[in-house]
Amino acid sequence: MSKKCYRFFGGLLSAQENWLNKMAAMGYRLIRTEKLLYEFQKCSPGEVEYRIDFIAEKSAEKAKEYHDLLEELGYRVFFKNINLNYSVGKVHWRPWAEKGGRIASNATTFNRELLIVEKSRDGKPFELHTTYEDKAGYCANLRDPWFMLFVLFGVLGLVQRSALLLTLGAIALIPVFLYQIQILKFKQDAKTKEW
Amino acid sequence: MRDNAKSGALTEVTFYILLSLYAPKHGYAVMQFIEEKTGGRLSLGAGTLYGALNSLLEKKWIEPCGGREGRKKEYRITERGKEIAEKELYRLRELAAVAAEIIGGAV
Repeated sequence: MSKKCYRFFGGLLSAQENWLNKMAAMGYRLIRTEKLLYEFQKCSPGEVEYRIDFIAEKSAEKAKEYHDLLEELGYRVFFKNINLNYSVGKVHWRPWAEKGGRIASNATTFNRELLIVEKSRDGKPFELHTTYEDKAGYCANLRDPWFMLFVLFGVLGLVQRSALLLTLGAIALIPVFLYQIQILKFKQDAKTKEW
Repeated sequence: MRDNAKSGALTEVTFYILLSLYAPKHGYAVMQFIEEKTGGRLSLGAGTLYGALNSLLEKKWIEPCGGREGRKKEYRITERGKEIAEKELYRLRELAAVAAEIIGGAV
């Protein structure tokens, strides 16, 4: 018997991670995901744990390579969309991706922006990013799309003189600030310690 | 004295990855090597390992090597990588000697 849940977390990655870990603690492990769907199977409570990794800045090839490495390390890995978008054949430009932007299409990481990584609990800590430098870099990857949203809404809001768009732009600044605080903290730590 | 003025210090993660690849390995074996040699003191996150492997590939200190076991990618250290690792060994010896002199005690 599988259990189906419908949830949408959007950019709230830690909320999604916490929810999956709560499900795992109650004895449900993920077996399948779709846009809104999470399908679970019974397992013993706390048998597995989850981490979410944001990979939208990676090329299709790198995302695949990273996915394969995770599987090689013994993790179970699911691709997950971060947004809701039901269009087909859509092409997205991601100016915040590595090396001056990247075009994301259905063939690449579009709708596959997240990895849900499952590890069997073995008493060892489960972190995907362990050095301060890497943590800071990862947070920057998370920050940059929000910053682009801020710029986009800000410019459109000014051009259209729309208070709504400007408000959305201001809201996009909140995660930018939160991630920036983390980045500064990690960089501070990195001054004296590697991990 | 060796001339190592130009080469900077390596991070511990970088140095351990270089050392692990004197014999060709794939990602999982690199991680195991590091955990084993450090008695679990240094445990690499998968994302960190992937990032480190990629930057070492870009620097050409390591290279992918021949046999792909299915989807697993194997890597090995390059001549350039060995030079870097050797210099790091001298640097660390010097550092350890200075530290032992000041702090005292045999390690």
